[in-house]
Amino acid sequence: MNAFVARHRLIVLAYLGMLVLLLVTSYFSPGFLSEANLRSSVVLAAFVGIVALGQTFVIIGGGIDLSVPWVLNCAAILMAILCGGQDLPLLWVGPLVLAAGALVGLINGIGVAIFGVPAIIMTLAANVILQGLIVIYTGGLPTPRAPEMIRFLSVGRLGPIPVIGILWFVLAIAASFLLSKTAFGRYLYAVGSSATVAEFSGVPTARTTILTYVLSGFTAALAGMLLTGYSGQAYLGMGDPYLFTSVAAVAIGGASILGGSGHYVGTIAGALVLTILAGLLPALGLSTGALMVVYGVVILVTVAIGSEAFASLLRLVLPMRAGRIGSRQP
Amino acid sequence: MDLLSAHGLSKRFGGIVALDDASFSARAGEVHALLGENGAGKSTFIQILGGVLRPDAGTITLGGSDYRPVDPDAARARGIVTVFQELSSIPDLTVEGNIWFRREPRTVLRTVAKREIRRRTEALLDRYGFPALHPAQDLRRLSLAERQLVEIAKALAQEPRILVLDEATSSLAARETDWLLQLTRRLAEEGRLVVFISHRMGEVRAVADRLTIFRGGRTVAAHDAAAVSDEQIVTEMIGRRLERLYPERVSSATDRIAVGARDFSSGPRLPGVTFTLHEGEVLGVGGLQGHGQRELFQGLFGVARTQGEMTLWGTPAAIASPRDALVGREGIALVPEDRRGQGLMLSKTVRENLTLSVIRRMSSHGVLSRPREAALVKEMVDFLRIKVSTPEQQADTLSGGNQQKVIFGKMLLTEARVLLLYDPTRGVDVGTKSEIFQMMRDLAARGYAILFYSSDLQELVNVADRVMVLREGRVAATLAGDQVSEDAILRAAMFDEAA
Repeated sequence: MNAFVARHRLIVLAYLGMLVLLLVTSYFSPGFLSEANLRSSVVLAAFVGIVALGQTFVIIGGGIDLSVPWVLNCAAILMAILCGGQDLPLLWVGPLVLAAGALVGLINGIGVAIFGVPAIIMTLAANVILQGLIVIYTGGLPTPRAPEMIRFLSVGRLGPIPVIGILWFVLAIAASFLLSKTAFGRYLYAVGSSATVAEFSGVPTARTTILTYVLSGFTAALAGMLLTGYSGQAYLGMGDPYLFTSVAAVAIGGASILGGSGHYVGTIAGALVLTILAGLLPALGLSTGALMVVYGVVILVTVAIGSEAFASLLRLVLPMRAGRIGSRQP
Repeated sequence: MDLLSAHGLSKRFGGIVALDDASFSARAGEVHALLGENGAGKSTFIQILGGVLRPDAGTITLGGSDYRPVDPDAARARGIVTVFQELSSIPDLTVEGNIWFRREPRTVLRTVAKREIRRRTEALLDRYGFPALHPAQDLRRLSLAERQLVEIAKALAQEPRILVLDEATSSLAARETDWLLQLTRRLAEEGRLVVFISHRMGEVRAVADRLTIFRGGRTVAAHDAAAVSDEQIVTEMIGRRLERLYPERVSSATDRIAVGARDFSSGPRLPGVTFTLHEGEVLGVGGLQGHGQRELFQGLFGVARTQGEMTLWGTPAAIASPRDALVGREGIALVPEDRRGQGLMLSKTVRENLTLSVIRRMSSHGVLSRPREAALVKEMVDFLRIKVSTPEQQADTLSGGNQQKVIFGKMLLTEARVLLLYDPTRGVDVGTKSEIFQMMRDLAARGYAILFYSSDLQELVNVADRVMVLREGRVAATLAGDQVSEDAILRAAMFDEAA
């Protein structure tokens, strides 16, 4: 148990932070812990969590995916238009949209891993291109309503449990399995901690990197479809909040933004923290603007806490524990 | 009167005692060797001297007054400059940019005075006779050895009263090492103190006036160099008698060819070599630094593009990437040049490092088997006697020798029977060195074929069955049996026999 806490110190911290936040929120907003409210929090967190799933893999591998907002948005609009409000077309539209998301990821991954384009540039460019394409495609017109089947997936429930919560749980198990129990997971951590060492060790570095982007495109597209179900229709700009929240969830969840460490178990806590925070601030009478400011500060502080510089600062402040944190044995 | 003296120095890192009541004293005008195995406390001591660490207890006096540097700048201000083993140069700057980094001469407008920098750099390189460095070269294009020279130049530019050289020769080739040894003598004659750390006894013998030996964080002895034997020094360093550094050379080479290369080339530094490496053989690779050794190793391992013919165990091989090389028993494994940059994931555990190249072997259908992994890890930790408290220990907490053992373990787990060892004893203590040489012999006896490059000529002479000397990326000579000597290797490396 102790070894687990030591190894996953940051993930444990993320869950502790979430609990504290939950208590504080319920103090200021007594209705917060009601069943209905918890349920809606889980639903909101699930959207962040699903987008952040792919982002977690990309960031562990040492990259970043800035194309998630418009992959999400394109998926949403494509689905809405192709289904035209009907359930039946979803059977082929769903897989098609997911495949399209994965394809964008494939292109991102090939650009980064084979052609050596920096991840920031590659995915930022993909984001802008997709934005342009979708504006051309829709001509800015509103889309049909979301099919009922998608609505069921995102707002329906089985007994007291939201369907999307179950979906998220299944995805979380799959992601954790990939990271902890498979060769691909091991390769991913190796590529993220040192691409050179991984290459010298015979790790299929390019393939591993490309797969992370494919996964990210896939989860962004999935989230886009589900979000359409949640809001009833697809609209331009619906993906914009998810760039920041997906990266923030990963960072709050204890992953190094430079790659090589982290876990989806942490990202789940990150997604929940962001959602609870979004509930707390209105309860404190703060505006949406203030919410954004606090969001920004929270991610800065959490990333700083996880950093090497913060560790050495701690060493200065707490000389008793000098050298414990990350220092080198002579 | 001692220029530098330290008493009762102690330093702990958590539960680990790095220095335990250590003492040290040295005079101006001498080269003072500091000896000890990896983990003996040498690095901690010089980090305290250099202002990087602060001791938990103890005092240091420098030139008669109290010395407590709070940071490296404070140490430099008192005239102590350290050339650390881990290079701290900035790859994006030029040679001169690195030498004068943070101390650039300025113009009246506070911009960097480029011409003045060039003038000073040339004067500096000239004054100390630096081999083969040009002020405007980009650092990222330089070899490890050349970067090491830049570090030394940077230190000398600060006109130190006390110069600390931590394993400064470990990445240098013979000629540059000779130059550095002469330089240390000259600095001592100018009245400065040089604290010299090296794992190579020959070098210590060549330059040191006196020596201090650390073991387990304590000072075990201080001697006049002339009054003590090599054997006694080694005994004091390791706390027991080392039977012999080099194992007995019983050749186990067979007629079977493991690696055959014909006109094997890679870039301008390796225009073409032809050689054979036999089953059971340790083939040494010699020559001056930068004459194609690195390109040869990287080419064989698939890191660099190559042309020409290559056979592996009799069949033509096309190796375009390390993945092509690491294919089990019929493959090739490498101990790379840069332990920290190419060999180890420093922030990962010993376990994760050991098994990285054999993940496929311990998984079925892509799913890992932790018990199988644990078994492989235990096997290697025991076999190589890697000193870890648990395999979950992070790689960067290990000493240099133990880190190298982890890399060896990683290589052996691949089961490849052709091993490429690029300077495997660099920065490794004498006890571990002798273990590595013995292991090489044992592996050769079991039919492994080993290509062995070392920047230490003595090692080539004492460990290899044959030595292939490279000059300008071609085989200048292949020495065998009685022909193998430091002298013969150097001659082949430098002169055209026909001339």
